[in-house]
Amino acid sequence: MTDMTYTPSAASTVSPRIGLIFRSLSRADFTVLLRSSRTLLLNIAVPILYLVITDLHTLLRLGGNSPAGWTTGFTISLALTVGLMSASVMGYAGTIAQDRATGVFQRLRVTPAPTWAIMTSRLLVQIVVAFVMTVIVVVLGSIIHSSLFSVGQYLLVACVSLTGGAMFLAIAQAIAGLIRSAAGVNAAGRVLFIVFLLLGLLGASGILGDAVQDISDWTPVGALINVYSGVLDTAHWDWTNTSGLIATSGYIVIGAFIGIRWFRWESL
Amino acid sequence: MDPTPTNARTGNVLAVSELVVSYGAGTAVDGVSLDVRRGEIFGLLGPNGAGKTSTLSAIEGLLTPHSGSVTVDNIDIQKNPTGARARLGVQLQASSFQSELTIEEIARLFAGLYSLDLTKEQVAARIRGIGLGDELGKRFKSLSGGQQQRLSLLIAVIHEPVLLLLDEPTSGLDPQSRRQLWTLIEKLRADGGSILLTTHSMEEAQSVCDRVAIIDHGKLITVDTPTGLIARHRADPRVVKVTHGEVTLEDVFIGLTGSEIRD
Repeated sequence: MTDMTYTPSAASTVSPRIGLIFRSLSRADFTVLLRSSRTLLLNIAVPILYLVITDLHTLLRLGGNSPAGWTTGFTISLALTVGLMSASVMGYAGTIAQDRATGVFQRLRVTPAPTWAIMTSRLLVQIVVAFVMTVIVVVLGSIIHSSLFSVGQYLLVACVSLTGGAMFLAIAQAIAGLIRSAAGVNAAGRVLFIVFLLLGLLGASGILGDAVQDISDWTPVGALINVYSGVLDTAHWDWTNTSGLIATSGYIVIGAFIGIRWFRWESL
Repeated sequence: MDPTPTNARTGNVLAVSELVVSYGAGTAVDGVSLDVRRGEIFGLLGPNGAGKTSTLSAIEGLLTPHSGSVTVDNIDIQKNPTGARARLGVQLQASSFQSELTIEEIARLFAGLYSLDLTKEQVAARIRGIGLGDELGKRFKSLSGGQQQRLSLLIAVIHEPVLLLLDEPTSGLDPQSRRQLWTLIEKLRADGGSILLTTHSMEEAQSVCDRVAIIDHGKLITVDTPTGLIARHRADPRVVKVTHGEVTLEDVFIGLTGSEIRD
C-alpha cells in the first residue's frame, strides 16, 4: 500500500514529447471507442440496418416497391450518410459533452498535453472509424446488390466519406460548442438527426414537391447523398452533385468555425 | 523548458501573488497571496464558494486570472503553462477518468502525457505500489471510491512532480480508505514532496498540515501553522463564542468564517 516511490522533480522536468503524448491520447481514445456498445451501434449497426431496409430486393420480397430513383448507388449513399451522421451528431457530440461534464477534459488539461492534441486525437479516431464503416458498408452493399464498382469509384467513395465525416463532425462540434449541458447536447443531437434525415429522405424522394427537393439538396444529408451518388455514377455527374460538394464544404467551414469559436472545456 | 534541477534552485515551490479571479461581475478570488515551501503540506481551508477551487484552477492554469501571478518552481504558469504543468501533480475533486479504461491503461495514458515512456512492468510496479496490483485489468468504473482515489493519487504523482495539488482528497471516503490515503500523502511528504490541499475536515488539516490558510469570500483571512492559528485566535471573541472546551482549528475556522451554512 505504501510502496509508492517518489522523488520530487526527477521526472517532471523532462521536455514534452508531442509524439508520445499524441500516441498515448489516440490509443486511449481508440480503446474507449471500441469498448463502447453505443459506438458500435451508431457507427456500424445503423448504416447496415439502413442498407438492409432500403435494399431493393428486400422490399420486393416483402411485396413493396422501391421508390423511384433508389439505385444501388443511392442506397449505399444513404446508408453511408446515415452512418456518418449518427456516429457524429449523436455519438461524438454526446461523448464530448459527457466527458466535459464529468471532468475528463479538465483532468487531461492539467497535464502538459496541448489542448489541440486532446481534441485532434478524438477527431482522428472518429475519422478512422468512419473510414472502416465505409469499407464495411460499401462491401456489404456491393454483395447485397451484386454490383461491382471500379477501383476509382471505391477510392472516390472513401474520399467522400472522409469529407462527409468531417462535415458531420464539424456540425457535432458546433452543437457541443453552442450547448454546454450534456443532456442538452444529447437532445439536440437526436432532434437534428431526425430533422436532417427526414429533410434529406423526403426531399430526395420528391413526394413533397420540387421546392422541398431543392431545399433538401442543400441540407447536410441531401448534399452528401448527392455527392456519394455522383461518385458512384461519375458518367452522370451534374450540377446537383456539384452543389452537394459545395454545400458539404460550406457546412465543414461553418461548423468548424462555430465549434472552435464557442467551444468551452468546462460544462458550467 | 528550464532543465535546471529543482534542488539547485532556492525559494518556494509555489508562489501566488495578489491573485484576482473574476467571473463576469463577480470576484471569486480577491488579492490572494500565498506560498508553499519545499517539503511541506499546506492546507487551504474555506467554506463552500470561498474561492478555494478558483484559486486551484488559477494555479493549474485552467483559468486566466484578472491580475496577479502564479509561479510553480519559479516558472510563471501564464508565460509557460506547459513547463509549469509538467511540475504539477493534480488530483481533482471528481474522479475524472474515462470509465471504459482499465487502471493499467489510465496509468499508461497519463505517463505518456507527462512524456514518460514506461514499460508494462514499470506501470504494473507503480500500480502495485498503491495496493492495486490485483486490479490491473479492472476498468475504472468498477473500482470502489477508495480505489479510485488511490489511483487518482498515483496518477497525480506518476511523473514525480515538484508540487502536488489535492482538491478534497478524502471527500466521500470511508474511514479506512481515508486513513490509507493519508498514509500515502504523508509518505509523499516524507519523500520530500510539497503538497497543497483543500479539505473540509478540520481534524485532518490540524493533524497533517504544516501550515494552513483560511480563505473566505475570495480573501485570505489568515495563514499559520495549525497550533499557531489556534494560539493567535483563541482569545478572539468570535472564536470564544463558538468554542466548547479546548479550542480547536475547527473553532477558529468557524469563528472566523461564521456559522451560517454556505451552498
